[in-house]
Amino acid sequence: MAIFEHGDIKIEVDEDGFMQEPDQWNEEVAKALATTEEVHEMTDEHWKLVNYLRDYYKQFGIAPMIRKLCKETGFPLKKVYELFPSGPAKGACKVAGLAKPTGCV
Amino acid sequence: MNSTRSHKAQKVLERMGKKLNRQIVGSFAACVHCGMCTDSCHYVLANPGDPTYAPAYKADKIRKLFKRHFDWTGRVIPWWVNAKSVYTDEELEELKDTVFGKCTNCRRCSINCPMGVDFATFNRMARGLLVSVGIMPEGVAVVSKDQWEIGNQMGVLKEDYIDTLEWLSEELVDEFGDPRAAIPIDKKNADIVYSINPREVKYDPRTISDAAKIFYLAGANWTMPSEGWDMTNFGLFSGDDDLGGAVARRLYEKVEELGGKKLVISECGHGYRSTRCEGQNWAQYDLNFEMESSVTTMLRYIHEGRIKVDKSSNTDPVTFHDSCNNARSCGLTEEPRELLNLVAEEFREMYPNRAENFCCTGGGGAMSMSEYTPRRLKSAKIKADQLAATGAKYVVTSCHNCVDGLSDLIKHYKLGMKVTQLVNLVAEALVVPEKETAVPVEEIPAAAAGPLDGYKILVVDDEPDFVSFASAILEDHGASVVNAFNGNEALEVARRESPDLITLDITMPGKDGKQVFESMRKDPQLKAIPVCIITGQPELRKLIYDRSVPPPNGYIDKPISEESLMRNVRKILEIKQKATK
Repeated sequence: MAIFEHGDIKIEVDEDGFMQEPDQWNEEVAKALATTEEVHEMTDEHWKLVNYLRDYYKQFGIAPMIRKLCKETGFPLKKVYELFPSGPAKGACKVAGLAKPTGCV
Repeated sequence: MNSTRSHKAQKVLERMGKKLNRQIVGSFAACVHCGMCTDSCHYVLANPGDPTYAPAYKADKIRKLFKRHFDWTGRVIPWWVNAKSVYTDEELEELKDTVFGKCTNCRRCSINCPMGVDFATFNRMARGLLVSVGIMPEGVAVVSKDQWEIGNQMGVLKEDYIDTLEWLSEELVDEFGDPRAAIPIDKKNADIVYSINPREVKYDPRTISDAAKIFYLAGANWTMPSEGWDMTNFGLFSGDDDLGGAVARRLYEKVEELGGKKLVISECGHGYRSTRCEGQNWAQYDLNFEMESSVTTMLRYIHEGRIKVDKSSNTDPVTFHDSCNNARSCGLTEEPRELLNLVAEEFREMYPNRAENFCCTGGGGAMSMSEYTPRRLKSAKIKADQLAATGAKYVVTSCHNCVDGLSDLIKHYKLGMKVTQLVNLVAEALVVPEKETAVPVEEIPAAAAGPLDGYKILVVDDEPDFVSFASAILEDHGASVVNAFNGNEALEVARRESPDLITLDITMPGKDGKQVFESMRKDPQLKAIPVCIITGQPELRKLIYDRSVPPPNGYIDKPISEESLMRNVRKILEIKQKATK
């Protein structure tokens, strides 16, 4: 267990920096987490992706396949990597407040 | 039987007897505590004051059980051979912290042990014993469950897997304007059945598309199976041979059901080792088909002329990180280097390398055990130093686990490098036949005589033969060349002549290349002049990149060729020209 602090934000994260309590997530938290993932500004496109991830996670309890993410948001794969340079599993899921994806990632 | 022993401890001891084999018993018996293993372990190097990380210390925590319960010396003279038993669940938890949290099973200590003690092998056995009584990191439990129940380690459902492949197929067909570019699923009697790591299909399918492009352009008769496609195997990490066998069997049976001739394993170190080297033993399975790494497949396609590649597509300097499982356990060290040299312009070796390479620190399932991440990143210091010393922009690795381990440490140590795989570089370098005719036409003006006309280059080296050789090449291409044969002369000539570029040897009598380089970078008159290091001792690279001055503009290993020298010189001068415009 570790604590992530950024400005006034103070949240519990795991040792890889993923949120432990998804209910503590809000837009300010997302902006703070984005600073750790080479995202300098959260644009509308970032929010669209993050909100989709959150909705899917709330419904199914896991992160969606990249295929679903691209289909539902309309972003091509390349765009996803432009928005979140460390990729959907590490970058986007972290900013969206999801738990760390399981397996070799 | 000891009535004060916990149920779990009792089970661990009972099962240990069934796991002992010649290799493990030999390793238990042979250690003479000489300490050779300590310097080989990345955990020890990052924690020099903490003996609990030393491989021999970690090994003794398991060895004492063997001595106490299975070796006559431990029964007769337990105090002499340090034989001890285990009684409580707390002791088992402590053992978990060691075998999962203080070792990545990278086997670097194993190959450096003069007595042949294979610590990683019995560390894996100890993991398996703990897993059999339910003591393991949560991440290992979750992944193992998915691999048992859903058939792959990320819980990807069959329809999602197929939907993803169809999506990639649509894009490939569009790109090539040819329906044959689609990914064939469950094709019978194919020459190649291609297996992947679930992270490719779940999060980053670019490696699948890239492989598909290569197979398509090679005209391969290939297929991807609809099931039994996960070549990763958490059995290797958890020490659970039953899981290892079940996962491997799924792959083997699918290949046989499809009548495939060869199983090709995408770039994944533990997947390659599990599927190709260990799985047949775990699964007790006799195969009637061949297996190989996709690295070998890609290299063969180039050798056979089935695909053409143009290395000028990959101009950034690259280095190669050997995955522990590929290099130390399976001997896959030369093929990736040969392939890399065919598809990238500038390959820089990392030191030490091949079987002596240091772990990415994400091995042995460490990427799935968040609780040990701070320890892992601390132990990654040696790897970070190794990477930084290459001065490369990209680190290439044939292992998905290493991709993630390296990405994490690059971020942590702020190295600013990118991680990629051979399949990505090969796909980038592919020459698509339609475009092929246009290429030579474009190349002619670039190869015109005198591209270095008007440039003055200073060649610094203490070997007169080298100076004449390099000078002759540069003069043939139109440059005017000045020479220096030692460090002090180099600085003097550089100040007097203000060259456009300096090529600099490292090992020279008197003021050597490292000091000259630093002096140049700190000298207001000289600091803007590009420097290209040319050395016969590439392992000294660290001495250059460790300095707190801007890195050199190029780096070439001796022996040089006309091609390597000219390619580097032109690249540096072109960049300089752009910067001054």
